[in-house]
Amino acid sequence: MQVFFQTLIGGLSLGAVYALVAMGFSLVYRTMGLVNFAHGDVVMIGAYVASTFYMSAKLPFALAIVAAIVVTGLIGVIIERVLRPLENKDFDLMLIGTIGFGIVLEAVATLIWGATGRAVPSPVPAAPLDIFGIRVRTYNLVVLAIAALAMVALVLFLQRTKRGAAMQAVAMDYEAATAVGIHVGRSNALSFSIGAGLAALGGGLVGPLLYVNASMGGSLGIKGFAAAILGGFGSIPGAILGGLAIGVLDSFSAGHFQGYSDLVTFLVFTVIIMVRPTGVFGERTVNRA
Amino acid sequence: MRYRIGLVALLAVVAWGLPYGLNLYAMHVADVALVFAVLAIGLGLAMGVAGQVNLAQVAFFGVGSYAVAILTTHYGYGFWPAALLSLVATVVIGLLVGTPALRVQSHYLGIVTLGLAVAFTNWVTNAALAGGASGISGIPVPPLGGVDLSSDYLYWYVEVVVFAAALAFGLFVVRTPLGRRMRAMRDDSLAAGAVGAEVPMLRMAAFGLASVYGGLAGVLYAGLIRYVSPDTFSMTNMFLLLAMVIIGGRQSLVGCVVGALALSLLREALSDASTYAQLGYGVVVVLAVVFAPTGLAGLPARLRSGWRKRRGEGASAAVLGPFRPFPAAPQASAPVGPGPLLEVQQISKRFRGLWALREVSLSVGAGEIRGIVGPNGSGKTTLFNVISGLYRPSGGTVRLGGAPVGGRRPYQLSHAGLARTFQNLRLFNNLTVRENVLVAADRSRTRGIWRYAVWQVGVVRRDRALRARADAMLDQFGLSAFADALPRSLPYGIQRRVEIARAMVSGPRLLLLDEPAAGLNGEEVRQLGEIVRSIRDSGVTVVIIEHNMGLVMSLCERITVLASGEVIAEGGPAEVAATPRVIEAYLGDSAMSKDVPPVIATEVAQ
Repeated sequence: MQVFFQTLIGGLSLGAVYALVAMGFSLVYRTMGLVNFAHGDVVMIGAYVASTFYMSAKLPFALAIVAAIVVTGLIGVIIERVLRPLENKDFDLMLIGTIGFGIVLEAVATLIWGATGRAVPSPVPAAPLDIFGIRVRTYNLVVLAIAALAMVALVLFLQRTKRGAAMQAVAMDYEAATAVGIHVGRSNALSFSIGAGLAALGGGLVGPLLYVNASMGGSLGIKGFAAAILGGFGSIPGAILGGLAIGVLDSFSAGHFQGYSDLVTFLVFTVIIMVRPTGVFGERTVNRA
Repeated sequence: MRYRIGLVALLAVVAWGLPYGLNLYAMHVADVALVFAVLAIGLGLAMGVAGQVNLAQVAFFGVGSYAVAILTTHYGYGFWPAALLSLVATVVIGLLVGTPALRVQSHYLGIVTLGLAVAFTNWVTNAALAGGASGISGIPVPPLGGVDLSSDYLYWYVEVVVFAAALAFGLFVVRTPLGRRMRAMRDDSLAAGAVGAEVPMLRMAAFGLASVYGGLAGVLYAGLIRYVSPDTFSMTNMFLLLAMVIIGGRQSLVGCVVGALALSLLREALSDASTYAQLGYGVVVVLAVVFAPTGLAGLPARLRSGWRKRRGEGASAAVLGPFRPFPAAPQASAPVGPGPLLEVQQISKRFRGLWALREVSLSVGAGEIRGIVGPNGSGKTTLFNVISGLYRPSGGTVRLGGAPVGGRRPYQLSHAGLARTFQNLRLFNNLTVRENVLVAADRSRTRGIWRYAVWQVGVVRRDRALRARADAMLDQFGLSAFADALPRSLPYGIQRRVEIARAMVSGPRLLLLDEPAAGLNGEEVRQLGEIVRSIRDSGVTVVIIEHNMGLVMSLCERITVLASGEVIAEGGPAEVAATPRVIEAYLGDSAMSKDVPPVIATEVAQ
């Protein structure tokens, strides 16, 4: 039982990171119809920048993450700008273009930080907490708390503020949004940088959980993406649920199948997608003939 | 043509002479590059030709290599039997990986295939059978008579033969019915289904082909390096392969080959600065998708059109020929059986809370031209979509020629003799007008593709027959001058006519036309009327949705009026135009004030 709960908490906190990544995917997808395959690498850059500020510049952990958010937000704006000609046009090309960006980001990270990677020390005391006889890493709880805060903030932003509402409007029909006076380009850039910021937050948080290296973007990205699909692409609650589900699935398959956890996770994911392609909260789009 | 043969001969000579001019290291590099070329052809077929985002191609490569390694070192098979079994294994895996394509497409498919590729790498790095992270060494040299294939020089010739055959077969597929259907599916899978292409089978065929090439490349690789390890099949190499195909031009197999060779050699040249190389090809991929989506292969055509524009040569002066009427069907053969040709009974269709159709019934007799009119949003197109199998009705039955066809897929209905056009033109945009018609002319089932493996001559013969048929149809519709043009480059009215020709070439019993006059000028509408009448006279039943009342009134013997998803009137043109409910639906309640109806009724009837 104790092992079960520890695996669960570990899975949930990793899942919270996946959820942040998935929310970034979904936010960008619903506002711009852009599937950003480079998102995982943006997360990786976020993790590196945060760890650099935290470890080398000795900034407080929170400030380091803010710095990372700024950097990745800029990267997000650049990606959006370059691929703008393809928006709402050729889906597959756009997908490949973002893969290209991912390759570039990975190479840049290798050039700056080297190929070996680094371990990031936990910003909170390493001694595990004891809650009702279950030993929990303190940092796991910190991750869960911050991720939950970020999710609530994002949902409030989208539902309660004018800018958030404008982004929702662009998502539904960008021509109609233009007609009522919303600056679509600015709104898109904002959503892209928020998405990238979420990625940096996820990256900053995941640093102390995993080993930070240039190729971590690949697996984080795929799992975040899988989370977004699992919850229903473009749905924010879906992204949260999907992220937690993938995290827990990952954690338990690592416990039961050791090295084969990726294999099991992706096989299960494939089966779920085939049974329910639109995810849990996904909308079935109607083909207009 | 002569130029092409010369080029091929030249390349053959270069391939034959190459080993004489290379040192051992360069020869090895060339060998590896050719393996990647074979792999890239497979990816090009799946992604560029069939439009299936397959990010597991490197895993197929891996399955082929690992199967050879495991079969030879663990189970003591000889190299060639192991190679054969590996190919089979790769195809099986390929089809399994491809099954999600039946349910999901585009980015969903990308992530699923990528995930499965990661799962494969995960397995080989952990499984004892696959040698774990250190891989498997000691794969035997492939025996070939007295030829020593441990020499990279001699192995080159084996590769060249396999590569040439693989490329030739790939090109053969692309240019014959199977490849044409795949390209049609890539451009518009909905329309492809509606003209009789079996979309699920084609998707599986695409993955099957990709895995054959993956397996082939894997076997070649195993025989060349005689050592396999997980690194070779990593995601990094998957993205490199993707870059090869995108930069070379994914829709052209030759482009894929050029991209593969170029990037392989470049990677070798920059092996000391591999990170910069990675940065470089990443940047080139981004630039390519934004500025040259057709890759290197598309450059000549782009340059040519740019050159023409500069010299001020406008579009070709091709003119639309006159439509030549179909031969009229003998009267006796017209009615096929008792009862109507199309019978729609109590059809309902619900989208969540909205009833788009509510218990709609109509029956259309053989040889009739039936008009369906109604205000926008009254459910006309939804009705067509239900009849042609794009939507599953929420209730009710559809009978075609007396046989129930509810729940059948669009391609099955196409084979049962139903053809349709679409409200917003759905032509295959990257296929020429002739190819558009050819796709629909092909009436064969996809299971006939076994011919590709064993009896290619049969494929060529059938293709020739199809071409004759398609050209005859183009000529009939006066479209011969545009046969080699891309649909997008043509005026709207001509595109409309192409779509009708495409529908007619399948030899339908029932033709559904969805607003065929939309966007046409007066003369074109007159020609359309003439075409539709001739189609009916040739024995085809026509159902037409149209807003152009003049056309509907002059063309149709009977008219069905829909409003808010229900049939509100049916009858002859004059009869329908005088029905109060029809006037109400079109003009609103105020039109019902006593003095208006006679005026409107005469107006509409004219």
